[in-house]
Amino acid sequence: MASLRSSASLLLSAASRPALRAAAAAPAAVRGMAQVTDGQQQNMMASNDKAKLKTFQIYRWNPDTPTEKPRMQSYTLDLNRTGPMVLDALIRIKNELDPTLTFRRSCREGICGSCAMNINGTNTLACLCRIPAEDNAEMKIYPLPHTYVVKDLVPDLTQFYKQYKSIKPYLQRETPAPDGKEYRQTKADRKKLDGLYECILCACCSTSCPSYWWNSEEYLGPAILLQSYRWLADSRDEKTAERRDALNNSMSLYRCHTILNCTRTCPKGLNPGLAIAQIKKEMAF
Amino acid sequence: MASIARSSLLRQVASARLASQHSVIANAARASAFHTTARRDILPPLPQRVQGTVNDAAPVPPTSPSHGSYHWTFDRLVAGSLIPLTVAPFAAGSLNPTLDALLCATILIHSHTGFQNIIIDYVPAYRTPRARKLFMWGLNAATAVVGLALYEFETTDVGITEAIKRIWTA
Repeated sequence: MASLRSSASLLLSAASRPALRAAAAAPAAVRGMAQVTDGQQQNMMASNDKAKLKTFQIYRWNPDTPTEKPRMQSYTLDLNRTGPMVLDALIRIKNELDPTLTFRRSCREGICGSCAMNINGTNTLACLCRIPAEDNAEMKIYPLPHTYVVKDLVPDLTQFYKQYKSIKPYLQRETPAPDGKEYRQTKADRKKLDGLYECILCACCSTSCPSYWWNSEEYLGPAILLQSYRWLADSRDEKTAERRDALNNSMSLYRCHTILNCTRTCPKGLNPGLAIAQIKKEMAF
Repeated sequence: MASIARSSLLRQVASARLASQHSVIANAARASAFHTTARRDILPPLPQRVQGTVNDAAPVPPTSPSHGSYHWTFDRLVAGSLIPLTVAPFAAGSLNPTLDALLCATILIHSHTGFQNIIIDYVPAYRTPRARKLFMWGLNAATAVVGLALYEFETTDVGITEAIKRIWTA
Protein backbone atom coordinates (compact mmCIF):
# COMPACT_ATOMS: atom_id res chain seq x y z
CA MET A 1 0.00 0.00 0.00
CA ALA A 2 2.82 2.38 0.73
CA SER A 3 3.99 2.26 -2.87
CA LEU A 4 0.50 2.93 -4.13
CA ARG A 5 0.07 5.91 -1.88
CA SER A 6 3.37 7.38 -2.94
CA SER A 7 2.63 7.15 -6.65
CA ALA A 8 -0.78 8.68 -6.12
CA SER A 9 0.63 11.60 -4.16
CA LEU A 10 3.23 12.16 -6.86
CA LEU A 11 0.54 12.45 -9.49
CA LEU A 12 -1.39 14.72 -7.20
CA SER A 13 1.52 17.04 -6.79
CA ALA A 14 1.96 17.12 -10.55
CA ALA A 15 -1.59 18.34 -11.00
CA SER A 16 -1.97 21.93 -11.99
CA ARG A 17 -4.27 22.96 -9.15
CA PRO A 18 -2.49 25.69 -7.20
CA ALA A 19 -3.62 24.51 -3.77
CA LEU A 20 -2.12 21.11 -4.36
CA ARG A 21 1.06 22.58 -5.80
CA ALA A 22 1.48 24.64 -2.67
CA ALA A 23 1.03 21.55 -0.57
CA ALA A 24 3.66 19.69 -2.58
CA ALA A 25 6.12 22.54 -2.22
CA ALA A 26 6.04 22.09 1.54
CA PRO A 27 6.27 18.31 2.00
CA ALA A 28 5.72 18.59 5.74
CA ALA A 29 2.17 19.79 5.09
CA VAL A 30 1.27 16.78 2.92
CA ARG A 31 -0.71 14.23 4.85
CA GLY A 32 0.53 10.69 4.50
CA MET A 33 3.93 9.09 4.50
CA ALA A 34 4.83 9.39 0.83
CA GLN A 35 8.37 10.31 -0.14
CA VAL A 36 8.55 12.16 -3.44
CA THR A 37 11.77 10.51 -4.63
CA ASP A 38 10.50 7.12 -3.61
CA GLY A 39 7.33 7.76 -5.57
CA GLN A 40 9.28 8.77 -8.66
CA GLN A 41 11.16 5.49 -8.69
CA GLN A 42 7.97 3.58 -8.13
CA ASN A 43 6.30 5.42 -10.98
CA MET A 44 9.11 4.59 -13.39
CA MET A 45 9.00 0.95 -12.37
CA ALA A 46 5.27 0.86 -12.86
CA SER A 47 5.47 2.35 -16.34
CA ASN A 48 8.07 -0.24 -17.32
CA ASP A 49 5.64 -3.01 -16.42
CA LYS A 50 2.82 -3.81 -18.79
CA ALA A 51 -0.13 -1.60 -17.93
CA LYS A 52 -3.20 -3.48 -16.66
CA LEU A 53 -6.01 -1.31 -17.91
CA LYS A 54 -9.50 -1.59 -16.50
CA THR A 55 -12.51 0.43 -17.56
CA PHE A 56 -15.09 1.60 -15.04
CA GLN A 57 -18.51 2.66 -16.28
CA ILE A 58 -20.01 4.99 -13.74
CA TYR A 59 -23.53 6.40 -13.49
CA ARG A 60 -23.51 10.19 -13.79
CA TRP A 61 -26.33 12.61 -13.13
CA ASN A 62 -25.96 16.22 -12.20
CA PRO A 63 -28.76 18.04 -10.30
CA ASP A 64 -27.54 21.36 -11.77
CA THR A 65 -28.78 20.20 -15.19
CA PRO A 66 -31.91 18.28 -14.19
CA THR A 67 -33.30 17.99 -17.70
CA GLU A 68 -30.26 16.06 -18.87
CA LYS A 69 -30.72 12.30 -18.77
CA PRO A 70 -28.47 10.23 -16.52
CA ARG A 71 -25.60 8.70 -18.48
CA MET A 72 -22.80 6.21 -18.05
CA GLN A 73 -19.29 7.62 -18.20
CA SER A 74 -16.23 5.44 -18.79
CA TYR A 75 -12.92 5.89 -17.02
CA THR A 76 -9.87 3.75 -17.69
CA LEU A 77 -7.28 3.16 -15.00
CA ASP A 78 -4.02 1.24 -14.80
CA LEU A 79 -4.57 -1.35 -12.08
CA ASN A 80 -0.83 -1.53 -11.36
CA ARG A 81 -1.07 1.94 -9.92
CA THR A 82 -4.46 1.59 -8.22
CA GLY A 83 -5.38 0.08 -4.87
CA PRO A 84 -7.13 -3.29 -4.78
CA MET A 85 -10.65 -2.10 -3.91
CA VAL A 86 -13.29 -0.34 -5.99
CA LEU A 87 -13.21 2.61 -3.58
CA ASP A 88 -9.48 3.06 -4.32
CA ALA A 89 -10.31 3.24 -8.01
CA LEU A 90 -13.13 5.74 -7.40
CA ILE A 91 -10.90 7.97 -5.30
CA ARG A 92 -8.20 7.80 -7.96
CA ILE A 93 -10.69 8.72 -10.68
CA LYS A 94 -11.86 11.68 -8.60
CA ASN A 95 -8.31 12.80 -7.84
CA GLU A 96 -6.77 12.38 -11.24
CA LEU A 97 -9.35 12.09 -14.00
CA ASP A 98 -12.57 13.83 -13.07
CA PRO A 99 -12.98 15.90 -9.89
CA THR A 100 -16.73 16.29 -10.58
CA LEU A 101 -17.42 12.59 -9.82
CA THR A 102 -19.44 12.49 -6.60
CA PHE A 103 -19.74 9.65 -4.08
CA ARG A 104 -19.90 9.16 -0.32
CA ARG A 105 -17.01 7.59 1.49
CA SER A 106 -15.52 7.83 4.92
CA CYS A 107 -13.76 5.00 6.73
CA ARG A 108 -12.54 2.91 3.75
CA GLU A 109 -12.72 -0.26 5.92
CA GLY A 110 -16.38 -1.29 5.91
CA ILE A 111 -17.46 0.15 9.27
CA CYS A 112 -19.23 3.40 8.30
CA GLY A 113 -21.48 2.22 5.47
CA SER A 114 -21.11 5.41 3.46
CA CYS A 115 -19.83 3.94 0.20
CA ALA A 116 -22.75 1.56 -0.41
CA MET A 117 -23.40 1.35 -4.15
CA ASN A 118 -24.38 -1.10 -6.84
CA ILE A 119 -21.23 -2.62 -8.31
CA ASN A 120 -21.57 -5.06 -11.21
CA GLY A 121 -25.21 -5.62 -10.29
CA THR A 122 -24.69 -6.29 -6.58
CA ASN A 123 -25.26 -3.86 -3.75
CA THR A 124 -22.10 -3.72 -1.71
CA LEU A 125 -19.64 -1.41 -0.03
CA ALA A 126 -17.09 -0.09 -2.51
CA CYS A 127 -14.38 -0.32 0.15
CA LEU A 128 -14.97 -4.05 0.69
CA CYS A 129 -15.36 -4.94 -3.00
CA ARG A 130 -12.22 -6.10 -4.76
CA ILE A 131 -11.56 -5.09 -8.38
CA PRO A 132 -11.49 -8.44 -10.19
CA ALA A 133 -7.97 -8.49 -11.65
CA GLU A 134 -8.18 -11.76 -13.57
CA ASP A 135 -10.43 -10.46 -16.37
CA ASN A 136 -10.49 -7.08 -18.08
CA ALA A 137 -14.26 -6.80 -18.37
CA GLU A 138 -15.72 -3.37 -17.68
CA MET A 139 -17.04 -2.70 -14.18
CA LYS A 140 -20.41 -1.01 -13.94
CA ILE A 141 -21.09 1.17 -10.92
CA TYR A 142 -24.54 2.57 -10.16
CA PRO A 143 -26.05 4.21 -7.08
CA LEU A 144 -28.19 1.98 -4.83
CA PRO A 145 -31.15 0.79 -6.92
CA HIS A 146 -34.59 2.36 -6.66
CA THR A 147 -33.45 5.33 -4.59
CA TYR A 148 -33.83 9.01 -5.36
CA VAL A 149 -30.41 10.15 -6.55
CA VAL A 150 -28.90 13.32 -5.12
CA LYS A 151 -25.95 13.33 -7.51
CA ASP A 152 -23.95 10.64 -9.36
CA LEU A 153 -23.49 7.81 -6.83
CA VAL A 154 -25.12 9.57 -3.87
CA PRO A 155 -28.60 8.24 -3.01
CA ASP A 156 -31.13 10.05 -0.85
CA LEU A 157 -31.66 7.98 2.32
CA THR A 158 -34.12 10.34 4.04
CA GLN A 159 -36.97 7.83 4.09
CA PHE A 160 -34.61 5.09 5.31
CA TYR A 161 -33.51 7.17 8.30
CA LYS A 162 -37.06 8.33 9.03
CA GLN A 163 -38.13 4.70 9.16
CA TYR A 164 -35.19 3.88 11.42
CA LYS A 165 -36.32 6.63 13.77
CA SER A 166 -39.89 5.24 13.76
CA ILE A 167 -38.83 1.93 15.38
CA LYS A 168 -37.36 3.82 18.38
CA PRO A 169 -33.86 2.37 18.19
CA TYR A 170 -32.94 2.88 21.83
CA LEU A 171 -33.41 1.11 25.15
CA GLN A 172 -36.88 1.76 26.59
CA ARG A 173 -37.11 0.99 30.30
CA GLU A 174 -39.20 2.18 33.22
CA THR A 175 -37.81 0.24 36.19
CA PRO A 176 -34.36 1.13 37.46
CA ALA A 177 -31.70 -1.55 37.85
CA PRO A 178 -32.12 -3.40 41.20
CA ASP A 179 -28.65 -2.51 42.47
CA GLY A 180 -28.63 0.98 41.02
CA LYS A 181 -25.81 0.11 38.64
CA GLU A 182 -25.98 -0.54 34.91
CA TYR A 183 -28.64 -2.84 33.41
CA ARG A 184 -27.10 -6.29 33.44
CA GLN A 185 -27.66 -9.17 31.08
CA THR A 186 -26.75 -12.86 31.21
CA LYS A 187 -24.20 -14.12 28.71
CA ALA A 188 -26.94 -16.11 26.98
CA ASP A 189 -29.09 -12.98 26.60
CA ARG A 190 -26.14 -11.02 25.26
CA LYS A 191 -25.46 -13.77 22.73
CA LYS A 192 -28.93 -13.18 21.23
CA LEU A 193 -27.74 -9.78 19.99
CA ASP A 194 -24.80 -11.19 18.03
CA GLY A 195 -25.46 -10.93 14.32
CA LEU A 196 -27.83 -8.01 14.97
CA TYR A 197 -25.79 -5.25 16.56
CA GLU A 198 -23.12 -5.37 13.83
CA CYS A 199 -25.44 -3.78 11.25
CA ILE A 200 -24.01 -0.47 10.00
CA LEU A 201 -27.21 0.68 8.22
CA CYS A 202 -25.57 0.97 4.80
CA ALA A 203 -28.98 0.27 3.15
CA CYS A 204 -27.51 -2.38 0.80
CA CYS A 205 -30.12 -4.95 1.90
CA SER A 206 -33.15 -2.66 1.90
CA THR A 207 -32.41 -1.35 -1.59
CA SER A 208 -31.92 -4.90 -2.92
CA CYS A 209 -35.38 -5.97 -1.71
CA PRO A 210 -38.10 -5.91 -4.42
CA SER A 211 -40.78 -5.48 -1.76
CA TYR A 212 -38.95 -2.41 -0.52
CA TRP A 213 -38.62 -1.12 -4.09
CA TRP A 214 -42.38 -1.18 -4.56
CA ASN A 215 -43.52 -0.18 -1.07
CA SER A 216 -40.75 1.80 0.58
CA GLU A 217 -43.31 4.36 1.82
CA GLU A 218 -44.92 1.80 4.15
CA TYR A 219 -42.80 -1.36 4.32
CA LEU A 220 -39.85 -0.94 6.68
CA GLY A 221 -37.37 -3.07 4.72
CA PRO A 222 -34.81 -5.62 5.92
CA ALA A 223 -32.29 -3.27 7.53
CA ILE A 224 -34.85 -1.54 9.73
CA LEU A 225 -36.56 -4.83 10.61
CA LEU A 226 -33.18 -6.32 11.60
CA GLN A 227 -32.72 -3.36 13.94
CA SER A 228 -36.29 -3.76 15.14
CA TYR A 229 -35.50 -7.37 16.08
CA ARG A 230 -32.31 -6.23 17.77
CA TRP A 231 -34.48 -4.28 20.25
CA LEU A 232 -37.16 -6.97 20.47
CA ALA A 233 -34.49 -9.55 21.36
CA ASP A 234 -32.82 -7.33 23.97
CA SER A 235 -33.56 -8.70 27.45
CA ARG A 236 -33.14 -5.25 29.03
CA ASP A 237 -35.86 -3.61 26.94
CA GLU A 238 -39.32 -3.40 28.57
CA LYS A 239 -41.43 -2.16 25.67
CA THR A 240 -41.38 -5.41 23.68
CA ALA A 241 -45.18 -5.57 23.43
CA GLU A 242 -45.42 -1.98 22.14
CA ARG A 243 -42.67 -2.68 19.62
CA ARG A 244 -44.57 -5.72 18.35
CA ASP A 245 -47.83 -3.77 18.12
CA ALA A 246 -46.11 -1.15 15.97
CA LEU A 247 -45.21 -3.88 13.46
CA ASN A 248 -48.57 -5.64 13.61
CA ASN A 249 -50.25 -4.35 10.43
CA SER A 250 -50.31 -5.44 6.84
CA MET A 251 -47.49 -3.19 5.59
CA SER A 252 -44.67 -2.62 8.11
CA LEU A 253 -43.49 -6.21 8.50
CA TYR A 254 -45.62 -8.56 6.42
CA ARG A 255 -44.59 -7.24 3.00
CA CYS A 256 -41.51 -9.43 3.47
CA HIS A 257 -41.98 -12.46 1.21
CA THR A 258 -38.71 -14.19 2.15
CA ILE A 259 -37.00 -13.28 -1.12
CA LEU A 260 -33.67 -13.27 0.78
CA ASN A 261 -31.90 -10.77 -1.49
CA CYS A 262 -31.05 -9.01 1.78
CA THR A 263 -29.08 -11.94 3.16
CA ARG A 264 -27.32 -12.52 -0.13
CA THR A 265 -26.18 -8.94 -0.54
CA CYS A 266 -25.23 -7.97 3.05
CA PRO A 267 -21.59 -6.81 2.89
CA LYS A 268 -21.21 -7.53 6.63
CA GLY A 269 -22.42 -11.12 6.28
CA LEU A 270 -25.50 -10.64 8.48
CA ASN A 271 -28.84 -12.35 7.98
CA PRO A 272 -31.77 -9.89 7.94
CA GLY A 273 -34.02 -12.59 6.44
CA LEU A 274 -33.57 -14.76 9.53
CA ALA A 275 -34.25 -11.82 11.85
CA ILE A 276 -37.52 -11.04 10.03
CA ALA A 277 -38.52 -14.71 10.19
CA GLN A 278 -37.88 -14.63 13.97
CA ILE A 279 -40.13 -11.57 14.37
CA LYS A 280 -42.90 -13.28 12.37
CA LYS A 281 -42.51 -16.45 14.42
CA GLU A 282 -42.64 -14.61 17.74
CA MET A 283 -45.74 -12.70 16.64
CA ALA A 284 -47.52 -15.72 15.16
CA PHE A 285 -49.54 -16.85 18.20
CA MET B 1 -5.98 -0.42 -25.79
CA ALA B 2 -2.68 -2.04 -24.90
CA SER B 3 -0.55 0.88 -25.98
CA ILE B 4 0.54 2.97 -23.06
CA ALA B 5 2.38 5.35 -25.37
CA ARG B 6 -0.76 7.41 -25.73
CA SER B 7 -0.76 10.18 -23.22
CA SER B 8 -4.45 10.71 -22.68
CA LEU B 9 -6.65 7.73 -21.98
CA LEU B 10 -9.55 10.01 -21.36
CA ARG B 11 -9.58 11.29 -24.93
CA GLN B 12 -9.81 7.72 -26.24
CA VAL B 13 -12.70 7.00 -23.98
CA ALA B 14 -14.47 10.19 -24.94
CA SER B 15 -14.22 9.45 -28.66
CA ALA B 16 -15.39 5.88 -28.07
CA ARG B 17 -18.41 7.16 -26.21
CA LEU B 18 -19.29 9.51 -29.03
CA ALA B 19 -19.14 6.63 -31.51
CA SER B 20 -21.31 4.41 -29.31
CA GLN B 21 -23.85 7.20 -28.91
CA HIS B 22 -24.23 7.41 -32.66
CA SER B 23 -24.80 3.68 -32.91
CA VAL B 24 -27.35 3.79 -30.09
CA ILE B 25 -29.34 6.45 -31.95
CA ALA B 26 -29.19 4.38 -35.13
CA ASN B 27 -30.33 1.26 -33.25
CA ALA B 28 -33.19 3.12 -31.62
CA ALA B 29 -34.37 4.36 -35.00
CA ARG B 30 -34.26 0.80 -36.36
CA ALA B 31 -36.09 -0.65 -33.35
CA SER B 32 -38.80 2.01 -33.26
CA ALA B 33 -39.92 1.01 -36.75
CA PHE B 34 -41.31 -2.23 -35.26
CA HIS B 35 -43.39 -0.54 -32.57
CA THR B 36 -46.66 1.21 -33.22
CA THR B 37 -47.17 2.47 -29.66
CA ALA B 38 -44.86 4.42 -27.41
CA ARG B 39 -43.32 2.69 -24.39
CA ARG B 40 -45.15 3.71 -21.24
CA ASP B 41 -44.47 2.83 -17.63
CA ILE B 42 -47.54 1.50 -15.83
CA LEU B 43 -46.92 3.18 -12.48
CA PRO B 44 -43.87 5.46 -12.80
CA PRO B 45 -42.26 6.60 -9.55
CA LEU B 46 -43.55 9.92 -8.24
CA PRO B 47 -41.28 12.83 -7.41
CA GLN B 48 -39.82 12.47 -3.94
CA ARG B 49 -42.08 13.70 -1.15
CA VAL B 50 -40.96 13.89 2.47
CA GLN B 51 -43.74 13.66 5.07
CA GLY B 52 -43.09 16.28 7.73
CA THR B 53 -39.48 17.32 8.18
CA VAL B 54 -36.52 15.08 7.53
CA ASN B 55 -36.04 14.73 11.29
CA ASP B 56 -39.54 13.39 11.98
CA ALA B 57 -40.00 9.65 12.29
CA ALA B 58 -41.98 7.88 9.59
CA PRO B 59 -45.63 7.45 10.72
CA VAL B 60 -46.42 4.15 12.47
CA PRO B 61 -49.66 2.59 11.15
CA PRO B 62 -52.39 1.60 13.65
CA THR B 63 -52.18 -1.90 15.13
CA SER B 64 -54.43 -4.36 13.34
CA PRO B 65 -53.65 -8.05 13.99
CA SER B 66 -56.38 -9.22 11.60
CA HIS B 67 -54.32 -7.70 8.77
CA GLY B 68 -51.02 -8.55 10.43
CA SER B 69 -50.11 -11.46 12.66
CA TYR B 70 -53.47 -13.32 12.63
CA HIS B 71 -53.63 -13.01 8.85
CA TRP B 72 -50.09 -14.31 8.45
CA THR B 73 -50.63 -17.21 10.86
CA PHE B 74 -53.87 -18.17 9.09
CA ASP B 75 -52.04 -18.04 5.73
CA ARG B 76 -49.34 -20.39 7.01
CA LEU B 77 -51.83 -22.82 8.54
CA VAL B 78 -53.81 -23.02 5.31
CA ALA B 79 -50.62 -23.50 3.26
CA GLY B 80 -49.38 -26.15 5.70
CA SER B 81 -52.65 -28.07 5.76
CA LEU B 82 -52.62 -28.28 1.96
CA ILE B 83 -49.69 -30.71 2.08
CA PRO B 84 -51.46 -33.58 3.95
CA LEU B 85 -54.71 -32.86 2.07
CA THR B 86 -52.91 -33.28 -1.27
CA VAL B 87 -51.12 -36.46 -0.19
CA ALA B 88 -54.10 -38.05 1.60
CA PRO B 89 -56.05 -39.37 -1.45
CA PHE B 90 -52.91 -41.07 -2.80
CA ALA B 91 -51.86 -42.42 0.59
CA ALA B 92 -55.31 -43.79 1.35
CA GLY B 93 -55.81 -45.04 -2.19
CA SER B 94 -59.51 -44.22 -2.06
CA LEU B 95 -61.58 -41.14 -2.63
CA ASN B 96 -63.53 -39.54 0.15
CA PRO B 97 -65.94 -36.81 -1.01
CA THR B 98 -65.61 -34.90 2.27
CA LEU B 99 -61.82 -34.85 2.01
CA ASP B 100 -62.12 -33.78 -1.63
CA ALA B 101 -64.43 -30.91 -0.68
CA LEU B 102 -62.03 -29.88 2.08
CA LEU B 103 -59.13 -29.82 -0.40
CA CYS B 104 -61.19 -27.67 -2.78
CA ALA B 105 -62.09 -25.19 -0.07
CA THR B 106 -58.50 -24.95 1.21
CA ILE B 107 -57.09 -24.38 -2.28
CA LEU B 108 -59.70 -21.66 -2.82
CA ILE B 109 -58.79 -19.85 0.42
CA HIS B 110 -55.07 -20.29 -0.26
CA SER B 111 -55.28 -18.75 -3.71
CA HIS B 112 -57.57 -15.97 -2.43
CA THR B 113 -55.07 -14.85 0.21
CA GLY B 114 -52.23 -15.29 -2.27
CA PHE B 115 -53.87 -12.96 -4.78
CA GLN B 116 -54.67 -10.56 -1.94
CA ASN B 117 -50.96 -10.38 -1.17
CA ILE B 118 -50.18 -9.63 -4.81
CA ILE B 119 -52.75 -6.82 -4.89
CA ILE B 120 -51.44 -5.31 -1.64
CA ASP B 121 -47.91 -5.41 -3.10
CA TYR B 122 -48.58 -3.97 -6.54
CA VAL B 123 -51.69 -1.79 -6.15
CA PRO B 124 -50.66 0.52 -3.30
CA ALA B 125 -53.60 1.94 -1.34
CA TYR B 126 -51.87 5.25 -0.61
CA ARG B 127 -51.32 5.89 -4.30
CA THR B 128 -54.16 4.24 -6.20
CA PRO B 129 -56.99 3.84 -3.65
CA ARG B 130 -59.76 3.40 -6.23
CA ALA B 131 -57.86 0.83 -8.26
CA ARG B 132 -57.09 -0.99 -5.01
CA LYS B 133 -60.79 -1.15 -4.14
CA LEU B 134 -61.66 -2.29 -7.67
CA PHE B 135 -59.05 -5.07 -7.60
CA MET B 136 -60.05 -6.27 -4.14
CA TRP B 137 -63.74 -6.49 -5.04
CA GLY B 138 -62.82 -8.08 -8.37
CA LEU B 139 -60.88 -10.72 -6.46
CA ASN B 140 -63.81 -11.31 -4.10
CA ALA B 141 -66.14 -11.75 -7.09
CA ALA B 142 -63.70 -14.14 -8.80
CA THR B 143 -63.34 -16.20 -5.61
CA ALA B 144 -67.12 -16.40 -5.23
CA VAL B 145 -67.55 -17.54 -8.85
CA VAL B 146 -64.78 -20.13 -8.55
CA GLY B 147 -66.23 -21.31 -5.23
CA LEU B 148 -69.64 -21.77 -6.84
CA ALA B 149 -68.10 -23.60 -9.79
CA LEU B 150 -66.12 -25.91 -7.51
CA TYR B 151 -69.27 -26.60 -5.47
CA GLU B 152 -71.11 -27.55 -8.67
CA PHE B 153 -68.18 -29.69 -9.80
CA GLU B 154 -68.00 -31.48 -6.46
CA THR B 155 -71.73 -32.13 -6.13
CA THR B 156 -72.78 -32.93 -9.68
CA ASP B 157 -69.53 -34.20 -11.27
CA VAL B 158 -66.60 -36.46 -10.30
CA GLY B 159 -64.71 -34.07 -7.99
CA ILE B 160 -61.29 -32.52 -8.30
CA THR B 161 -59.02 -35.45 -7.33
CA GLU B 162 -60.76 -37.81 -9.73
CA ALA B 163 -60.66 -35.18 -12.49
CA ILE B 164 -56.89 -34.70 -12.10
CA LYS B 165 -56.45 -38.47 -12.03
CA ARG B 166 -58.32 -38.85 -15.31
CA ILE B 167 -56.39 -36.05 -17.01
CA TRP B 168 -53.13 -37.55 -15.71
CA THR B 169 -53.86 -41.00 -17.16
CA ALA B 170 -55.58 -39.75 -20.31
